[in-house]
Amino acid sequence: MYVIDVGPQYEGERVRKGEFQVEYGGPDVGQKAELVLVKEMDEVEHDKITITGMDIKDLPEGSTVPLFIKVDVAGELLERDLEAVLERRIHQYINYIEGIFHMGQRNEIWIRIHKNSFNKGLDSLEHIGRILIDLYTAELPVIEKMSVEFITDPAKVEELLTVALTVYKERDDKVKGLRDEDVEEFYGCVLCQSFAPTHVCVITAERVALCGAINWFDGRAAVKVDPEGAQFAIPKGNLIDPEYYSYDTVNQIVAERSMGEVTRFNLHSALSYPHTSCGCFEAIVFYIPEADGFGIVNRDFVGSTVIDEPFSTLAGMASGGKQNEGYLGVGVQYLMSPKFLISDGGYNRVAWMPSVLKEMVKENIPEDLFDKIATEKDVQNVDELAAFMQNAGRL
Amino acid sequence: MATEIMTHPYYKVNVLTGSKGARIITEPEEAARIIDKAKTPLYVFGAEVIDTPVGDKLLIDYALQIAQSRDIPICATAHVKRKMLELQVTPDSVYDIIEIVHFLKDKDWTGVRGQGQHDLVLFTGVRCDLAERGLATLKHFAPHLKTFAICRRSHPNADYAVPIIAKGGKWQEYLAALVKTLGTVTPAA
Amino acid sequence: MRKGKMKEEEIKKTIKTEDGWEPVGPTPMPSLTDLRNWDFRLLQTYEPFYAPFCDLCCLCTFGKCDLTEDRKGACGIDIATQQARWILICCLMGTAAHGAHGRHMIDYLIEKHGEDFKIDLGSQVNVEAPIIRTVLGLKPETLGDLKKAIAYVEDEMIHLVSATHMGQEGNYKDFESKAFHAGMLDHVALEAADIAQIVGFGYPTSVADTPLVDLGWSSVNQEKPTIVVVGHNALVANSIVDYLRQNGLNDQVELAGLCCTALDMTRYDKGAKVIGPLSRQRFFLKTGYADVIVTDEQCVVTDIPQMAKDAGAALVAVSDKICYGLPNCSEKDVDQVFKMVVDEEQQVLILDADKAAEIAVRAAMALAPKRRELKKILTKEEATKLAAKCRGTCEACNRACANLLPINNAVFKTAQGDFTDLGKLFLRCIGCAKCEEACVNGIPILKLMQTAADGDTYKIRTGRGPIHDVEIRKVGSPIVLGTIPGVVLFAGCSNFPQDIYDVAWLAEELARRKYIVCLSGCSAMAAAMSKDEEGRTIYEKFPPEFDAGCIVNVGSCVSNAHVVGAAIKIANIFATLPNRANFELISDYILNRVGACGVVWGPYSQKALAIGTGAVRWGIPVVLGPHGSKYRRLFMSKKELDDWTVINGRTAELVDTKEPTPEHMMVVTETKERALITIIKQCFRRNDTPPGRGIKLNSYISAYKQLIGTLPDDLQNFVRTEKDIPIVYKREVISYLKEIGWQPKPVLSLPTIIGTYDTKVPIEATIK
Repeated sequence: MYVIDVGPQYEGERVRKGEFQVEYGGPDVGQKAELVLVKEMDEVEHDKITITGMDIKDLPEGSTVPLFIKVDVAGELLERDLEAVLERRIHQYINYIEGIFHMGQRNEIWIRIHKNSFNKGLDSLEHIGRILIDLYTAELPVIEKMSVEFITDPAKVEELLTVALTVYKERDDKVKGLRDEDVEEFYGCVLCQSFAPTHVCVITAERVALCGAINWFDGRAAVKVDPEGAQFAIPKGNLIDPEYYSYDTVNQIVAERSMGEVTRFNLHSALSYPHTSCGCFEAIVFYIPEADGFGIVNRDFVGSTVIDEPFSTLAGMASGGKQNEGYLGVGVQYLMSPKFLISDGGYNRVAWMPSVLKEMVKENIPEDLFDKIATEKDVQNVDELAAFMQNAGRL
Repeated sequence: MATEIMTHPYYKVNVLTGSKGARIITEPEEAARIIDKAKTPLYVFGAEVIDTPVGDKLLIDYALQIAQSRDIPICATAHVKRKMLELQVTPDSVYDIIEIVHFLKDKDWTGVRGQGQHDLVLFTGVRCDLAERGLATLKHFAPHLKTFAICRRSHPNADYAVPIIAKGGKWQEYLAALVKTLGTVTPAA
Repeated sequence: MRKGKMKEEEIKKTIKTEDGWEPVGPTPMPSLTDLRNWDFRLLQTYEPFYAPFCDLCCLCTFGKCDLTEDRKGACGIDIATQQARWILICCLMGTAAHGAHGRHMIDYLIEKHGEDFKIDLGSQVNVEAPIIRTVLGLKPETLGDLKKAIAYVEDEMIHLVSATHMGQEGNYKDFESKAFHAGMLDHVALEAADIAQIVGFGYPTSVADTPLVDLGWSSVNQEKPTIVVVGHNALVANSIVDYLRQNGLNDQVELAGLCCTALDMTRYDKGAKVIGPLSRQRFFLKTGYADVIVTDEQCVVTDIPQMAKDAGAALVAVSDKICYGLPNCSEKDVDQVFKMVVDEEQQVLILDADKAAEIAVRAAMALAPKRRELKKILTKEEATKLAAKCRGTCEACNRACANLLPINNAVFKTAQGDFTDLGKLFLRCIGCAKCEEACVNGIPILKLMQTAADGDTYKIRTGRGPIHDVEIRKVGSPIVLGTIPGVVLFAGCSNFPQDIYDVAWLAEELARRKYIVCLSGCSAMAAAMSKDEEGRTIYEKFPPEFDAGCIVNVGSCVSNAHVVGAAIKIANIFATLPNRANFELISDYILNRVGACGVVWGPYSQKALAIGTGAVRWGIPVVLGPHGSKYRRLFMSKKELDDWTVINGRTAELVDTKEPTPEHMMVVTETKERALITIIKQCFRRNDTPPGRGIKLNSYISAYKQLIGTLPDDLQNFVRTEKDIPIVYKREVISYLKEIGWQPKPVLSLPTIIGTYDTKVPIEATIK
């Protein structure tokens, strides 16, 4: 089919320094980016693959050079809001190619092509373009036309980079500004029901799925692409509880999909009708009575939390599709949401979290609160935590 | 015809421990007659057909000639299909060795072509100890069919077996003569 | 026999029902027939396939009885039932081997540490004993609790053995059900034994990155006094380590092992060497490298006394299972025994671990200087001379060979000074020495192999014991959804059909396709015997976590329990199904939703049969190498022609899924190529999500194309909707499906077979 093998088994391949034929982007190159734009049907020439500048075979072995990957797509059901979702697949699909690794996204991409793959015949970006078009159109029939251009001419790359940066910023502004109130529908996911039969994830504009894999835009794309699939649209209906962000149609659908086990979600609370979890969460929010506040722990944290229980024990309390007040499984991105636990007080109510996680979400924690949230470096148990909080004037 | 109990096959691990053993078909012409008389034969190819030399040919070459003499369906076990496709022959089935034996046990199975259960099953190229186990299964549990091990190491649990043929040259002669005689006997109506 | 009130009270006491970690399910400490309905339901789809090894029954004095055609034995038994009886007998041998090993280990450790010695498997393992918890309903907290588990195994076994007597069970399905019971008990014994030795000896636990140790017959340093321990029970091996440490002799004495003892003692001391699996036993002992041979138990060739004598080595037998007719010196004074062994060259039996350890070390140190000349391996000139009488024509060796090898050519060429074929032979030799026995010229064929044997040393990771609860949480979702395409365990013996490094090939093919690959016992050792261009074995090449694309050595044969345990933990920890005394519920979950497959590529032992049979009862299919046909029994469905109706847990309705998953529960494949394809297929599960099925089908299609050259011939059986089709092959597959008139099939997220047979377990329990 192709000169080299293609498949999900090649995700995660590493290509070391002395092993690459060509390296595109990466830490040693300033000019690099990938950009997917949704255009009108007549603006895209289907199956067109272009290389502007030198190709792989034109470069000496071991070269490190700039690259811009420009993908234009068109289709009746496509909209610009889906660009980010589509763009992330460049990473996935390029990693499917034997001997190529792709890291990062947007203007932080880093690609290496192994000498072995080059020797097997992967001597042109044309091959990569062909594979991208085939995979995109196979998975997403809503893409009716697609063209791919690889720009390696440094001057052109720089020019397009300016365009790309603008597009990224527009997207970010839109996402940042997008509130649950601004959208008509949320998205549901029941992919995990084979081990959590009563669990339904409700993904809102400000609440990423607890597995971290699906945000509101992903949900939107999934529903378009596969209306019969595990993701489905949830019309909001009416906001029946403005303090606890509970919507009537959402609750109705949750009740149906959970076989009646769960009848109400307060979408941004861990204490009252909390959102259920299957077990795939990236982090757990847990209530600490001694601090009248929350602890947060992420999956990668090793050892016991401040309440002397590790992630694995807390996970048992949070999972299984049951509503367990005081426990909430979340995606890490939710910690950066403006609505993070807003019904319970948001970060004002967070007492403890691992230092690495705290650093990660620094920008989302009010500045004056940052040092008043304890980490594993500050306290070892709830007594010390209570004392810490008293000193900080929080208790 | 009377059943004889054979003595030792080539491989001692396959020694018969029972009261019912194969009839040894010493003459390739008789082997051809047995095959030609079958109404719904099947030929099972094992992995060793792929690269076992017989003179200047491979075992699969002879096995294919036997099969093609009267369009005997072929079940290519293991990864034999790959070799067959190189030789531009498509097998009728790719059930693995235990799978095909399992289906052959069922007298109501409609066979690899859906034309009815098989009445004579030929085996070539299956690893000898494994072949002997499959033949034992059919001996006990498939009274509705007969088996013929076309293998020069000899197989006591088959209904019909080739004698031990030590010399490669003699084996080639046996196979060549078998191929030559096939198709010269009209199958029973 | 129906349990009376007193018996039920006894069970409650044993499993400490007052300890309310979970409510007690319907089958605490099940007896012979308590899970019979589950067994029969399995057998309904996966019929026993018998390949009789013998046409006769020779058990009792009414025989021999001819069982061909419709004939019955004097007792009325038919050939199928006789095979099933034999299966039960062999499974019981396997269970007894592991159970007795566990009993011995636990009793010894209780003597050492006390009954109340706590079980602590480290911070990463909270669910310490998933099998014991599920089968008995007991959460073991101490060595005393593990003793209860072994006692339960022992109690059940007496009934099972009884059923094998002449004039007992008369139905092959019931024999198979009893064999399942024996297999399940075997797993209880495995788990109890391994937990005991991990906590009792301080083996690594809660650590994935265990040390890499040396493996290979030439890894043994012949310059040092050398003790070689052969067997599976590392108790004495560990005592030898203790003695060496206490006397500051670690660096002066070489300690090496053959078979699982090697794997377990390297968990105790990473300086010990792993010589190799069972197939290397005779070869190695004939090299004369061992100054002292210590035999413990299981898979030990029974002519070691003669081999030791021929090699001028001392022999100390240390197990009551293998006494070899030797004088029992357990009570004798240690100096007296030393004299017997070193001066009088007597072989001895010592059932006292510490005494045996001291004798082994002191004897090795005394004998080594005298044995220098005996440790020289054959030179090429010597080999050529020894082979000289071979004409290459009598073929007596070929005919006797248990692995059907062309030995005559190799020996004849050796006589001409060409060792290439002999080297190739070594890779396929399973070490039985029948060739030597058959040779009309008395040529010592195994000895000749010394000149041509691959003398490389390799790296193997020491056994790491249980899978961590956090690992389970991490991989639980992708396994159940299917996005990790499967968990494959390579277990069992070294009776490989072809090259010993084929296990490494299979393991690597799966690991690079992102399967989770686990290995144990002889298979773990064999898989180390292959290096890539950079000189790395698979243990060096792949990470040791229980995660996609990783390779894990769980340890010795008794460590197999941890992989079954991982499947249970996925159901219990991850899917939060209660497992206490809940065998059927958990097994149903595993059968329908956990893509796991056991592989025994070189099966020979009764222990492997017991382990495999037990795995089937848990819902884990098993793929065997061709020698496995000589177990006499497999479990096969009629593939796409069978009935694949299950219950949709969501609606409690019957649904015909029309797909054979898993296809067979125990099957033999002839070649490694077909094995790879079969293993991949055996990991499909009914509840695979479309992305998960897509990933699994991607592996299936890519392997099939690589090895057979086409799309899989039965692909249509496993595509439920177009969403299942992997995107890389989408166009090609859609075109093929159209051509053959494929129709979509139902996709279930909560499939179960509970409700398709008479059971105490309600359907609602499967969806909690």
